[in-house]
Amino acid sequence: MAEVRLTSVGKIYSGAVPAVKDITFSVPDGGFCVLVGPSGCGKSTLLRMIAGLETITMGEIRISDRVVNTVEPMDRDIAMVFQNYALYPHMSVYDNMAYGLRNRKTPEPEISARVAEAARILELEPYLERRPRELSGGQRQRVAMGRAIVRQPQVFLFDEPLSNLDAKLRGAMRVEIKKLQRQLGVTSIYVTHDQLEAMTLADQLVVMNQGVVEQIGEPLSLYERPETVFVAQFIGAPPMNMIDLAPGGGGPKGLDGSSELPVPASGARLGIRPEHLVVDEDGRPVPTRPGDIRLELAVDAVEAVGAETYIHGRLGGDGLMITAREHGKMLLPPGTSRVFTARRENLHLFDAATGRRVDI
Amino acid sequence: MQKRSYFAGRMLPYALLAPQLLVTIVFFYVPAAQAVWQSFLLQDAFGISTEFVWFENYQLLFSDAAYYQAISVTAVFSVLVTVAALSISLLLAVQADKSLRGAGVYKTLLIWPYAVAPVVAGVLWLFMFQPSLGTLARGLRHFGVDWNPYLNSGDALSLVVLAAAWKQISYNFLFFLAGLQSIPKSLIEAAAIDGARPARRFWTIVFPLLSPTAFYLLTVNIVYVFFDTFGIIHAVTHGGPAGATTTLVYKVFNDGRAGGDLGGSAAQSVVLMAIVIALTAVQFRFIERKVNY
Ligand SMILES: Nc1ncnc2c1ncn2[C@@H]1O[C@H](COP(=O)(O)OP(=O)(O)OP(=O)(O)O)[C@@H](O)[C@H]1O
Ligand SMILES: [Mg+2]
Repeated sequence: MAEVRLTSVGKIYSGAVPAVKDITFSVPDGGFCVLVGPSGCGKSTLLRMIAGLETITMGEIRISDRVVNTVEPMDRDIAMVFQNYALYPHMSVYDNMAYGLRNRKTPEPEISARVAEAARILELEPYLERRPRELSGGQRQRVAMGRAIVRQPQVFLFDEPLSNLDAKLRGAMRVEIKKLQRQLGVTSIYVTHDQLEAMTLADQLVVMNQGVVEQIGEPLSLYERPETVFVAQFIGAPPMNMIDLAPGGGGPKGLDGSSELPVPASGARLGIRPEHLVVDEDGRPVPTRPGDIRLELAVDAVEAVGAETYIHGRLGGDGLMITAREHGKMLLPPGTSRVFTARRENLHLFDAATGRRVDI
Repeated sequence: MQKRSYFAGRMLPYALLAPQLLVTIVFFYVPAAQAVWQSFLLQDAFGISTEFVWFENYQLLFSDAAYYQAISVTAVFSVLVTVAALSISLLLAVQADKSLRGAGVYKTLLIWPYAVAPVVAGVLWLFMFQPSLGTLARGLRHFGVDWNPYLNSGDALSLVVLAAAWKQISYNFLFFLAGLQSIPKSLIEAAAIDGARPARRFWTIVFPLLSPTAFYLLTVNIVYVFFDTFGIIHAVTHGGPAGATTTLVYKVFNDGRAGGDLGGSAAQSVVLMAIVIALTAVQFRFIERKVNY
């Protein structure tokens, strides 16, 4: 039905610096695309251009093969869920959902059938006569979803729809949204700055930074093979450790094995995810193979959360703070010094000048 | 120690309320009571003898054809002024809101002088329509319009309606603008995506959300028309020609000050007060229930 295709899309707000620059990607029919990036990187701007709420300064946006650059929001056949839900405060839940259908002159019997169906799916049946202010945050969020689905649009657009909910509800709604989107099969574009939300929802993840796309791909492939330092540090929690290497491969005190790496002339940054640092058990060093990296850390703090333990330590005793993540309980006393090993296949190397990935 | 703080706690609310209460008592309850008392008295023209006459002043009032004329003039006048003042200011506020959207507090504050300007302009405006001296009046006559508010009652009424509405517009405008600016932009955007064109957006989203403001202004404007317009009428038409612009409040003023009929004038103001209280009560009972959300 509806594929969304962006070609070299750019946005400049009233003569100032560009908010969004030269963005090209497409979301296949029925796909769930998540735009993720830090605050101010232009996610909302891009989404609002797709919705038709902002003009498109450059490039072209197509929805199911139709160029929509100058098409009014109402004629783009999209529905949007806003961060503050934007429910009409003077209308009942029923009327909020029916409003878009009434504007399109849908016959009343069909309206009530569709609203009833949406209310059933979203478990809103007991609240149809209430006003938005008489609902909890989670219920309001569901009404906003209901308003989008009754319209049966070609594309759903979400702008941080869960950011006003508490952590527990956010987790539950995340699952609901994913289920609903699968069930309805509607192409969706979802904006968030929460990388966990992004990873769990997306079929296709678009990581943005300062108005440009850093990388596009499936969540796990971005996690396993980040193309830039930015993506490497943005995706994954706790974030990837980054260690600066000199052009010859020399690293800071406490780092061993880095001279084997193909460090470019401009120097490099070595990335190691916390879970890829394996600690030597007492007296039993991890067997190393050529190309593996060994780090000596002075343990600073240990956080045991049950299933796993985060170990924060200083490289070479007083250097860079490095985080390691180990399975199970591992109660190392602070102050002790331990050696951690990272396998060659788990290392990420980036050019220090360009920030781009270098193959090992 | 404890006793002292207890004492201060008791007195503080009264101390804070006192100025308010004092103003209300001195400027409202006392004159109102005086008016009621006065309306039962008959005073001779020189103010020498005063007689308690019960409801005679009221009987005279309700058998006076001029009084009924004043009632109908007031009805027409208040409807026209309120409708004009509210609709023009709403129109202006909607336009201002469009250009101020997202402009920030600083630019919004810049518009304030523009909102106050009509009050000054209103005075000039009256001069311009003055039949013998006013430039606009002469211009109208030049185009063959026989403009003379001193002789033509229609001209006279439209002139005071315009002048009275004009004075109220800036006040209404500021309230409407503040009301419009407090409607989240995302509501309008949601409605746009929901397929509502601008006019429909206005009537189904913006206007209902503005209705508490509109209701407040309606009440304020009606009170204004009833009480606060006699200055304009006095300045422009003196209630004439032939009572065509004599509203209830102007008649109170005219009969009492100029005619010396203090008892009759007091009876009129008591009736006027009753009408306004009744109107306000009706507004609160029937309209407010609809505008709350
Ligand atoms: N109406 C506007 N006028 C001028 N500049 C704007 C406007 N809206 C956004 N910007 C600018 O464009 C850039 C991108 O903003 P945008 O709202 O798209 O960020 P975002 O990624 O959605 O951030 P957040 O996560 O905080 O919502 C920002 O630098 C912002 O200041
Ligand atoms: Mg945003």
